[in-house]
Amino acid sequence: MRGIIQRTAWYLLKRLGAVLLVLFGISSVTFLVTRVLGNPVYLLVGHQQSPEIMDNMIQRMGLHRPLHEQYLGYLWSVLHGDLGISRYTFRPVVDDIALRLPATLELVLFAMALIILVGIPLGILAAVRRGSWWDHSVQAIAQLGASVPNFWFGLLLIFFLFFLLPAFPPPLGRLDDPGQAPPAFTGLLLVDSLLAGSFRSFISALWHLILPGLTLAAGAAPATIKITRDTLIQILTSDYIRTPLAYGVDRRTVYFRYALKNALVPVTTVLAMTMGFLMSGTVLVETVFSWPGLGLYAVTAMNHFDYEPIIAVVLISAVFYAGAYLIADVLHFMIDPRLRVL
Amino acid sequence: MTISSSSAGHFRWQRVRSLLISPSAIVLAVLIGSALLAPVLTPYDPITPFPGSRLQSPSAAHWFGTDPLGMDVFTRVLYATRIDLSVAVASVVLGILVGAPLGALAGYTRGWMDGVLMRLTEIMQAFPQILFAMTVFAAVGSSVQNLVLVLGFFNVPVYLRMVRSSALPLRESEFVLAARCSGHSTLSLVIKHILPNTLVPIFSQFSLSIAYAIQMIAGLSFIGLGVQVPEAEWGSMINLGAGYVIFGKWWPAFFPGMAAFVASYALNGFGRRLKGFWVA
Repeated sequence: MRGIIQRTAWYLLKRLGAVLLVLFGISSVTFLVTRVLGNPVYLLVGHQQSPEIMDNMIQRMGLHRPLHEQYLGYLWSVLHGDLGISRYTFRPVVDDIALRLPATLELVLFAMALIILVGIPLGILAAVRRGSWWDHSVQAIAQLGASVPNFWFGLLLIFFLFFLLPAFPPPLGRLDDPGQAPPAFTGLLLVDSLLAGSFRSFISALWHLILPGLTLAAGAAPATIKITRDTLIQILTSDYIRTPLAYGVDRRTVYFRYALKNALVPVTTVLAMTMGFLMSGTVLVETVFSWPGLGLYAVTAMNHFDYEPIIAVVLISAVFYAGAYLIADVLHFMIDPRLRVL
Repeated sequence: MTISSSSAGHFRWQRVRSLLISPSAIVLAVLIGSALLAPVLTPYDPITPFPGSRLQSPSAAHWFGTDPLGMDVFTRVLYATRIDLSVAVASVVLGILVGAPLGALAGYTRGWMDGVLMRLTEIMQAFPQILFAMTVFAAVGSSVQNLVLVLGFFNVPVYLRMVRSSALPLRESEFVLAARCSGHSTLSLVIKHILPNTLVPIFSQFSLSIAYAIQMIAGLSFIGLGVQVPEAEWGSMINLGAGYVIFGKWWPAFFPGMAAFVASYALNGFGRRLKGFWVA
């Protein structure tokens, strides 16, 4: 028993270490890109400023110090939750992010739910009925979807479902009327409005969420469907499925007891990957739908030559992505007994 | 012997022909051809605004209508093919040129370098790509050249991993052992014997990577990175027209997106065929 606990702890520590390594790598790369490839001062004052202003700026921002000192300072402030001050909202970047993170999370979680409820079952269907009409049409849809520029698909949805057939609200934010906003507990409007018992703002929030959520999910779904189908086919054609089927074991037992358990590991990996797709894809989707989340924040900051919010959004997205992988690893450990023995 | 080899050659030729007359190959040929012949196919200039003819719907004079600056959308879609395809091809080639040799070296030597490169590619693949591109452009400014570099950088881990995994089994093969015994240095061995044997998967992936790059270029230009607005590029054209979609003016955003979609669908289809072509 003690051995198992030790092994569990060791495994989790190793995975945590790997995640921290990736996060460290990402923060280092963003630092190098902004300080070594480019010079933040140019971004702020432009190229046609006098040397005095440049020097003054360099002194004020601490850019005259040696690079390793700047780097340690950067790591120190990031670890203390200090991500700088935005140059166009004049607020600490951390506060700006705290304000916008729930909007992005709501969008990403909604898209994730769509993928789990629709995308994964489609992949399973295609694999179980492989070679059938179902399989071919699911594959054709996935191939079409993989080639459609995601944000353009969002514009098509807006044209057809807002302009031609006004089924959905205009692509401007999360509610019909900002005054409708329920008191914030989680920041997720769907949850908050239910907590406040306001059915009207729940419907309004849901209606605003559907088109951007659908767009975001459509961007990530083709890859998810394809990987689910391919791994499942691999499992279904393996010996440990064919043999019990040949011996006449009930199909349901074979599929649910043998196939499903083996499919759980690859499918959780796929979902962690999907999380990464969604965090990246949300930038374009939020721009199309004026969704007040992290992606729109980063794009607006970029248009104001403000780089600190962008770095912050990169780091936050990386944390979510790495967190998703860590959860997948923990689930693997719980699902797959071989990891516990080895 | 001669009979069998000539029939094999015949068989090969048939398959090459079926690859070249596949629908996706034809679509690609039409796209490239019309991009090259753009000055002949259309009388309009792609980057001169005509304030007098703003947002006209598709007509005989303007097949795809005109955009908010009064420029002919059909003309711009044709000219945009040039920049989109060349940036995509250049970035993928860059990724191959850097990634493939490193991958071959990593797979062949299997030492500390392999470990370091694998960790680095993991970090690179964990990056949210669009956000990373934004960071780079915020730091060094946005230009077509930087767009090629950033997209090339994204392609490096793809080819590094792919070439590495096909170089791994070659390590123990007889021709590599023979070359090693006859005194080749590691570098010349990797270049002369390992790399040529990893070309098949590289070629198969090539067209798929270009399709992906086209979508990335369009996405980045859509948020104002890379290709700037007066220049004709599919993503920046969509950006120009996006604000008018809610007023029912669909054409300035629809046609460039359709072009990006058709190009990337054809490239994906061609890539899938190519994979089957080498494997079978």
